[in-house]
Amino acid sequence: MSTLSALFAISIFPGGLFLLSSGLLYEWGNRKLLALLQNRVGPRWFQPLADTIKLLAKEEVIPTGTNKFLFIGLPMVALAGGLTAALYVPLAGLAPSASFDGDLIMVFYLLSLLTLCMGLAGTNTVSRFSLIGATRTLTQVFSYEAPFLLALLGVAAAAGSWQISNITAYSGQHWLILTQPLGFLVALIGLMGKLEMPPFDAPEAHTEIVAGALTEYSGRGLAFFHLGKAIELVIGLTLIAAFFLGGLSNPLWFLIKTLALLFIMVVLQALLARLRIDQTVGLWWRYGVLLVLVQWLLMVLL
Amino acid sequence: MKRFFTMLPDITRSLFRRPVTENYPAVQSETPERLRGALKWDPSTCTGCGLCVMDCPAEALELTVLDRKAKRFVMVYHVDRCTFCGQCVMSCKQGSIVMNNQSWELAALDRNSFATIFGAPEDVKEALANKPEDGAAKSE
Amino acid sequence: MPDTAASKRFTVPIGPQHPALKEPGHFEFTVDGEIVTNAYVRLGYAHRGIEKAAESRNWVQNLYLLERVCGICSHIHGFAYSLAVERLANIEAPPRAQAIRVIVAELERIHSHLLWMGVSAHEAGFDTLFMYSWRDRETIMDVLEGLTGNRVNYSANVLGGVKFDVTPTQADIIRKGLTFLEERTKHYLDVIMHDTMFLQRTRGIGVMTRSQAEVMGALGPTARASNVQRDLRVEAPYAAYKDFPVQMVLDTRGDLEARFEVRINELFESYRLINQILDNLPEGELNVRVPRRIPAGEMIVRLEAPRGEVFYFIKSNGTDKLERLKVRTPTICNMTSVVRLSVGHQLADVPMILAGIDPCFSCNDRTVQIRQADGGAQPNGLSSLMSWEELRQYAIRKYEAR
Repeated sequence: MSTLSALFAISIFPGGLFLLSSGLLYEWGNRKLLALLQNRVGPRWFQPLADTIKLLAKEEVIPTGTNKFLFIGLPMVALAGGLTAALYVPLAGLAPSASFDGDLIMVFYLLSLLTLCMGLAGTNTVSRFSLIGATRTLTQVFSYEAPFLLALLGVAAAAGSWQISNITAYSGQHWLILTQPLGFLVALIGLMGKLEMPPFDAPEAHTEIVAGALTEYSGRGLAFFHLGKAIELVIGLTLIAAFFLGGLSNPLWFLIKTLALLFIMVVLQALLARLRIDQTVGLWWRYGVLLVLVQWLLMVLL
Repeated sequence: MKRFFTMLPDITRSLFRRPVTENYPAVQSETPERLRGALKWDPSTCTGCGLCVMDCPAEALELTVLDRKAKRFVMVYHVDRCTFCGQCVMSCKQGSIVMNNQSWELAALDRNSFATIFGAPEDVKEALANKPEDGAAKSE
Repeated sequence: MPDTAASKRFTVPIGPQHPALKEPGHFEFTVDGEIVTNAYVRLGYAHRGIEKAAESRNWVQNLYLLERVCGICSHIHGFAYSLAVERLANIEAPPRAQAIRVIVAELERIHSHLLWMGVSAHEAGFDTLFMYSWRDRETIMDVLEGLTGNRVNYSANVLGGVKFDVTPTQADIIRKGLTFLEERTKHYLDVIMHDTMFLQRTRGIGVMTRSQAEVMGALGPTARASNVQRDLRVEAPYAAYKDFPVQMVLDTRGDLEARFEVRINELFESYRLINQILDNLPEGELNVRVPRRIPAGEMIVRLEAPRGEVFYFIKSNGTDKLERLKVRTPTICNMTSVVRLSVGHQLADVPMILAGIDPCFSCNDRTVQIRQADGGAQPNGLSSLMSWEELRQYAIRKYEAR
């Protein structure tokens, strides 16, 4: 890969500009659809962008009692993790710009980096809401991560490769949602857990702990975390659409499939009440893991 | 029995209908007939008894009686103090005060425009000249 | 952080500014992990001095001042005050006025309960129910606006009656609104009784037994969900409730689910009652004249507000102003239960338990709050906080020593 194309891949497409703007647009789609389902008007299309610009322009207050280096560094690491992960994912239905054997595991951990950074950011501050939020965030990581990973690995096992490009090539021929419906379900709900969407929004339940781990964040740090989450939404949708919904052969299919997934996620958000953190953990370890294991058992048997 | 998605009928219906939110400044729904808006005062039936002023819980009304027989009254109505309770309408035996259901968009950019002065122009002049403290209160 | 006993105790402050509370009130929850081990409440952030202000206004002006004690149950305060003043003046509002007052009071109960359902659902993170219940609450707001002329402070009362009549056209509008709401309320009852995800947040949470409810002095739907038969509309019917009796809605379970069900079933009772009154509206005058000077005397009036019993004490000295006024709203009585019931629950359940009593902080911030200081000893050797028995014994000792 030449320097120029690498630079293009990082700053314009698929990383950088494209990813950020699509992340913001998908976040808008999420909010707008939710509003429509609740018979409201919802935000205008540029609202997430406007929020980000406003946050970036605001003063960043660093509270006392925090490690300044971590406080400023963690949002950057979180955002960087998301941006890096995008390079290995077939965004917009095009081939990933970088690829190596085993990149699935790396993408998976790059995506977890955001949650991890949020947890660390929460424990870094002395705010009591942040601490509880961070505890809940990290507790939640341990609950959904394993089933989510197992669900994605089911696809990898079916494709016989740990490389995302190989898996997508395989899933392009097979609609894996038909052979692994349970895995699909767990992966989709796992993504909702990852993004702390309702009903898994206990870590940032604002009626209890204000904004959870990010309570003390303002300005740039908060904007970076929000952007990181928006990016993770796009990457997560892409991965699941590519793995389970018959691959992403071109941008149109990408759009249709990811939006369909987003719609399902919005409907679930609208219909489910928030789970307490103990209920979240119980749900994942009692039903999530069980479902994936049944899926694996079926795969082995068939 | 476990039941999930109990609100599914609601959200499916909402998918196929417009949001209920009123697009307010662009579209205005009709105000109800009884809506209590800004006051209107009719000096021709007023007797100058001052009951409305006495009963107003917000001290939004000021009545100056220049000449009771000639019906020379000046009423200063402070719409910014008014709580739109309608007690003055009830207190007025003559029905000189009505609340206008159309005038309810009462925001203004300058403070002086919140005081509405009812009465004949020459009466207003005289009343305000006799009550300098009132004029001072308004210009603060 | 220094490693002291105090730092090991982890307290979570909720309020006076907090997203869960739209009004100022301060709660401190000591938590062990997610479990609440101790709770503490401090009120009084929204003290407005209404009782004192009432002493400087005349009888008519006070009606509108007191209507603003509460933004949600504004009518019941005007109702209670005018009832007290009318009883002091020894006059009675005409039957038609009494019926209209009850209609507005019941419409207010409907809007308050629907609002509460939305707020509680929001505390549980069930925003869809919140949005829909508030959307449907607009129906009742529009009905109230068309009937009374305002959406919040209806000012339906005047001393001696009501301001407006319910015309047949108005009655039809109300009936139409109620028919729509009845349909929707059936649906909401289904949701809160059967939605598994929501039931996980309400069933068995914040259980208050009947004896607890009685000891803590709980009022209104909060008490009725614990099978305490306390509803002034039934126990001591006032105004048109004498002619149009209501059925008390009770539940034995005492948890959040029961509080939801009691309030929603009360909605059906209100729909029925309003329809019944509309069909049998007494004919006659709308109001009678009340003298400007009210005869000297004292009067107590208790009415059933949407949240429970509202208590009014009025003392008149025969002038055109009252001498003393005391208002007690139901939230202050129910607040004890929040502090007691949240202990042992998860922090996530606390906003739900708090919302479960339908708190209204600005209404209750009138009383003197006694803070139990540690040790609490006064210079004269007395505790700053005495039980009733201690106070009695102290009084006996004091007078015997004389």
